[in-house]
Amino acid sequence: MKSKIGVYICHCGGNISDYVDVNKVREAVKDIEGVEISVDTMFACADSSQKQISDDISKKQLDGLVVASCSPKLHYPTFSAVAERGGLNKYNYVHANIREQVSWAHSDDKIGATEKAIKIVKAAIVRVKESVSLKPIEVKAQKSIAVLGAGVAGMRAAKELADLGIQVYLIEREHFVGGRISQLDYLCGADETGKELVTHLYEKIHEHTNVTLFTGAEVIKKSGSIGNFKIQVKITPRFIKNECNRDELLKAIEVCPVEVDDDFNFNITKRKAIYRNYDSEYPQKPTIDNKNCTRCGECEKVCSSIDFSQKEEILDLTVGSILAATGFDPYQPKEGEFGWGIGNVVTLPQFRRIINMCDDKLIYKGKEIKDIAYIYCVGSRQVDGDNKYCSRYCCTATLYTSILTHKKYKDIHSFHFNRGIRTYGKQEVIYDEASRLGDIFLQSYEYDPPEVTKLNGKTNVKIEDILTSGSEIDVDADLVVLVTGMEPRNDCSIGDVLKIPKGRDRFYNEIHMKLRPVETVIDGVTIAGACQGPKNIMESMNSALSAAAKSYSIVNKGELSLEPIIAKVDKETCVWCGKCAEACPFDAISMIKENGKDIAEINLSVCKGCGMCLPVCESNSIDMDGFTDLEIESMISVLAGS
Amino acid sequence: MNISANNDLPKILVFSTEKISDPAVDMAGLLKLHYPPRVYTIPIPCSSAVKPRWILRAFEQGFDGVFIAADGTDCPYGESCTDKTGAIVQRTQEMLKEKGIDAAKLRMAAICSVCSEAFVKQMKTFTEYLVKQKTN
Amino acid sequence: MQENKLKEYDALVIGAGIAGGETALNLANVGNKVLLIDKDLTVGGKMIMLSKVFPTLDCSACITTPKVSEIARHQNITVLTSTEASDIIQKDDGTFEALITTQPRYVVVEDCTGCQLCEDACPVNVDDQYQYGLVGRKAAFIPFSIASPRAAAIDIENCTLCGACERACPTDCIDFTQTVEKYTIKCKTVVVATGFQLFDPTLIPRYGFGRFKNVITSMQMERQLAPTRPFNTVLRPSDGKMPDNIAYVLCTGSRDKTVGTPICSQVCCMYSTKQAQLLMGALPMADITLYYLHIRAFGKGFNEFYAQAQSMGVEYVKGKVAKITEKEDGNLILRYEDINTGKVTETEHDMVVLSVGILPNEGITQLFTNRKLELDPFNYVSQANPLESPAMTSIEGVFVAGVASAPMDIPDSILSGGAASSEAANYIRHIAKKTVEV
Repeated sequence: MKSKIGVYICHCGGNISDYVDVNKVREAVKDIEGVEISVDTMFACADSSQKQISDDISKKQLDGLVVASCSPKLHYPTFSAVAERGGLNKYNYVHANIREQVSWAHSDDKIGATEKAIKIVKAAIVRVKESVSLKPIEVKAQKSIAVLGAGVAGMRAAKELADLGIQVYLIEREHFVGGRISQLDYLCGADETGKELVTHLYEKIHEHTNVTLFTGAEVIKKSGSIGNFKIQVKITPRFIKNECNRDELLKAIEVCPVEVDDDFNFNITKRKAIYRNYDSEYPQKPTIDNKNCTRCGECEKVCSSIDFSQKEEILDLTVGSILAATGFDPYQPKEGEFGWGIGNVVTLPQFRRIINMCDDKLIYKGKEIKDIAYIYCVGSRQVDGDNKYCSRYCCTATLYTSILTHKKYKDIHSFHFNRGIRTYGKQEVIYDEASRLGDIFLQSYEYDPPEVTKLNGKTNVKIEDILTSGSEIDVDADLVVLVTGMEPRNDCSIGDVLKIPKGRDRFYNEIHMKLRPVETVIDGVTIAGACQGPKNIMESMNSALSAAAKSYSIVNKGELSLEPIIAKVDKETCVWCGKCAEACPFDAISMIKENGKDIAEINLSVCKGCGMCLPVCESNSIDMDGFTDLEIESMISVLAGS
Repeated sequence: MNISANNDLPKILVFSTEKISDPAVDMAGLLKLHYPPRVYTIPIPCSSAVKPRWILRAFEQGFDGVFIAADGTDCPYGESCTDKTGAIVQRTQEMLKEKGIDAAKLRMAAICSVCSEAFVKQMKTFTEYLVKQKTN
Repeated sequence: MQENKLKEYDALVIGAGIAGGETALNLANVGNKVLLIDKDLTVGGKMIMLSKVFPTLDCSACITTPKVSEIARHQNITVLTSTEASDIIQKDDGTFEALITTQPRYVVVEDCTGCQLCEDACPVNVDDQYQYGLVGRKAAFIPFSIASPRAAAIDIENCTLCGACERACPTDCIDFTQTVEKYTIKCKTVVVATGFQLFDPTLIPRYGFGRFKNVITSMQMERQLAPTRPFNTVLRPSDGKMPDNIAYVLCTGSRDKTVGTPICSQVCCMYSTKQAQLLMGALPMADITLYYLHIRAFGKGFNEFYAQAQSMGVEYVKGKVAKITEKEDGNLILRYEDINTGKVTETEHDMVVLSVGILPNEGITQLFTNRKLELDPFNYVSQANPLESPAMTSIEGVFVAGVASAPMDIPDSILSGGAASSEAANYIRHIAKKTVEV
C-alpha cells in the first residue's frame, strides 16, 4: 500500500479551471491519508512543471503519483515518463481525466463538474494506493514489415524501408502495381506521367533484394501483435507461367473471344478476359480474369505460357509491423445525379482516360467535343448525402485537366460549375492559368445545385450564379464532366482484418491528427496515403514516408518492450475449468500441472491484457494488474460515496 | 444552470474501454456535448473484462445504474467481444433479479470511438429512466 | 567561449518548430545524434503560441508541450536556442561542415528556476514580441509561461545595465560576461525547417493597420484567445471594450500580386474559422463576419468544421474588402463589393482582424557556401522531386521539412517532417556505409 503520494491538479490554462474549482479539488484531497503533497499547476505538461514533479518524487521520496489533467490518451505517456525520471515505477502513476470527461463535458454545470472532479481524483488516489510496481516484458521484434497496397504510396514506403535494411513484403490485391496513379497520364506539378512515376518506383523496388512483391494477393487473417504479427496472405493465380513468351501472350489476348467492361478505363472501353491494362504495365505479364474467363481454350491454342492448373495459395508471414496504403475509390455517381446516365455525361476519371485516348481531336461517342461543362463536388461536400467532406484534390485536378485540353486540342471552351475553387497553397497558380486561358467560372449556391438536362442533342447545365449576383445562367455543353471525389475503398475488408477504426468520413482513422498522424489504435499498424483521407500525390508521399519512419522505429532495434499489464492466475484457488482458455482470443492460456493439480498458465508474451478471461472464471482466480478487484472495487466505493 | 444542485440526480457508473468507447466519451467533452455530471467512468481494456462482482459492488455502494459502453464489433481483441459482453450482462442481470434489483438498471450498448453523440443520448435517456424509477 | 570546438552529429536540423521537432525526434528515435537549433529563445516555433487548433479544437500548447519536452529530454538530441548555422560546406564524401553561432542569453539556463524575480526588478518596459505587441515586457524576461527552456533572458538591446536583475536573482544565474559562441560542427545531413514569417499588413495601407487601433492581425487575436493569453478576455485595443461585432478580412497578403504573394497561404481560412468559433464561445453575444474570396476548407475534417461554424452563426460574406476607414469612436467602416448582390457595400464593425498570410523566411540560401540551395518562384525552398521525394532539395543530403517548402497546416507540416526524417535517415545510412567501404 502506497503511503507517500503526490497529487498534481492541472488548470490547463483555464481549460479545466474555468469550470472546475481546482482549489476546492486540492482542498478536498490534501488531507487524505497517504497523500504527501497536493499541488495545483497552470500546465502540468509544461517542461518546468514536469521537472518540478520529478524533483518532488525524488526529494520527497514519493511512492505514488496522481496527475489530474486532460485525457490519458494525450498525456499518460508524458506523466508516466515523469514518474520514471523521478525514480518511480511508472505503474505507480495514475492519470485522472478531469478535462475531457469533467470540465469540458460539464462546462454547463460548474458545481457538478467540481464535485465530479473531486471524486475522480479521490478514486485515482485509492487506485494508486493499491498499485504495484511492474517491469516491461521484453520481446523480439521481427525486422520485417508488410506493406499493403502497391500504389505509389505503398511502393514509395516499401522502397524507403528496404533502403533502411528492412525485409519488406509488398502485398497488392490487383495483378498489377501502380494503383490509381497508373490510370493517369500527365501529372500536375511534374514532368513525368503517372505511368512513368509508377514504372520508376517499380524499377526501384524490383531491383531491391529486400523487397518481395506479391500481386493478386490479399491479407485475409492477422494474429499476434506489435513486433510479431502473423499474417495469412491469399494469392490468387495469374494463370501465366513464370517463364513466358511475350509474343504468344499478345496473340492470346487477340484470340480471346470474351469482351467485358474495362474497369481500368472506367468502363468506357472493353477488354478481353486475358488482359493487361497498358503496354508498359508491371509486372510485364498479362493476367486472366477468372470471373469472366469461359475456359474456351482459345488462348491455350496459340500460347504455351498459359497454365490453368495454377492454384490459389495461402502463405503465412511473420512481420514486425504492418503499413496499410490501400488507397481510395473514385465516387460513383448515382443514376440521375447531375444527369448521370443521360448520354454525354462522364466522370473526371473517365474524362482523363478519354483525353489519354484522343490525340489531336477530342472525340466522345463519335462526336467532337468543344464545349465542356465541369460540375464540381460530385460526391463531396454533399448537402443531403453522407459525404460531408471535401475531397481535396479535385479542384486542382479539374483545372489542370482543363489546361491539358487547351494544350492538346483547339477551340476548347471550359465552364466550371463550382462551389468555390479550393486551389490551396501554390496550386493557386493553376487557377490563375485556367483563368488566363479564358475558362469561365460559375458558382452555385450550396442548396441549389446545377441542373443537367438533355436539350436538342446537347446537354444543358443551368444554375443560379453567385458570381453574377444570382442571375440564371445556362450552358449547352458537348460533354458534361462530373468532378467526382474520393471515397474510402468500397471493399474495405482489409480494415476489418486489421481492425483499424474508421472516422466519420469512413476513411481509416489515425490516433491523433497532429501527435500521431500515421499510427492507428492497433499498435504496430500504420496507415499512409488516401486510405486515411483524400490526398494528392505529394501529400500521399509525405504520409507514406512518415508511416515508413514510424514502422521502421518499431522494428529497427529488433526488440520491443511490451506493457506488462497482463492476466495473472492465483495458483491456490484455480481449479482448471478451461473457461478462461476458451475466452482468450489469443490462445495465451493453457493447462499445466503443478503440485499434482491442474491449473491455468498464461503465456506472457502472447497475453495482450484484454481481460476477457477475468469475468468467466468461476472461482475468481484471475486478476490483472491495474485492474485488480482491489483497485476497481475501491474506486467504485469512492465514486459511489456521497 | 446547475443541474447537480438536485441531490436526487441518479449516479451512473460507466465501464468504458481504453481504445474504443473512452475516446468517444472524451470526444463528447471535446465537442461540449453535455450530459449529467453524475456519470462516472472507469476505463478498462475491453468491455468483455467486466466482472459481474464489480457491477454488484457498484449497486451495493449506491450507484443507481451501471452502463457498459461496449467495444462491439470494433473491439481490437476480436470479434467475439460483442457476444462475450452480452453474456456478462445477461448473467449479471439474472444475479440482480435474484437480489431484487431492477435488471434494467444495468445497460449496455456498443459505443464506437466516434459515437460521442450516441453516448450522450444513452446517458440522458438512462438518467431519465433512473429518475422515473426513483420517484415511483 | 569554446571557440572552434569541433563536434560531430549525424544530422543538423535548422529550426525547432513543429516540423523540425518532428524530424529531430524521428531521427533520434532510431539512434541518430541530432543537433537541433533555433534562432529564437525557445523551441516550439509558431505552434506553441497558438490557442486551439483546427479542426479538432484541441489546445495547441497541450499538443506542442509534450513534443517539446520529449525533444528537450531526448538523449540523442542536443537543442541550442538563440543559435544559427552558416557557412555550410558539403565535403566530397557527401558530409557537411557548418559554423554554429550562439548569441549570449546572459543567463545560465541550468541555474535559472524561472522564478521571475528579475522580471519584477527590471525597470525597462518594451513591447512583448511573443504577445505580438499586445502588452509590454521587461528587458529581463521569460519569453512566455510554457517556453522551453523556461528560463530568463536579457534583451541586451534594451537593457540599461542597471544591475537590478542581478541583485534580485536568488541563484546568481545572470551573467553579463557571456559572449557570442562560434564553433564548427560536422554532420552527415542537414534538414532545413526554417518555417515562415507573417505578412506585414502595413504594406496594405488602405487597411489602416498601425494607424487604426482596432485593426489587429490574426496572430494578435490568436494570442488573446490562447491559454497563455495576456488578458483574460478579448479586448479591443482603443478603449479596452469587449468587441461585439468583429470582422475578419481574409487573404490579407495572400493571393495578391500587388504585394508580391500570388499564392494562397493555405491556413488563413481555417484559422479564421477557428477563431470565429472560439470567439462565439468567449463572447456569446458577438457577431462575427468573415469577408472571403473562397473558403479553402480542404483537409480532413475541415469542411465539416466550416459547416459547424456556419451553423453556429458565423457570417461568411463573399467579397474583397477594398478599404477600411476609422470613425471617431474607434469603430471601423469596411467598404467591399458584395459578390452576392453585386453592389459596393459599407458595413460598420467595432474590431477588424486581418487574416494575414504567411511568407517564407529569408536568407536560407545564404547558409550554404559551395552548393546552391534553389528556391521556387515564391522564395520557398524548391523541391527537387516533389512527387517522389517531397523532402529532397537541390543539394543531395539536404532535406526540407514543413512550411520552408510551401505553405501548409500543422498536420501537413508534421507529415512533411516525418518524410524528411525518413529520407535523412536513409542518407545518413548511405554516408555511413560509404565511409565503412572506404
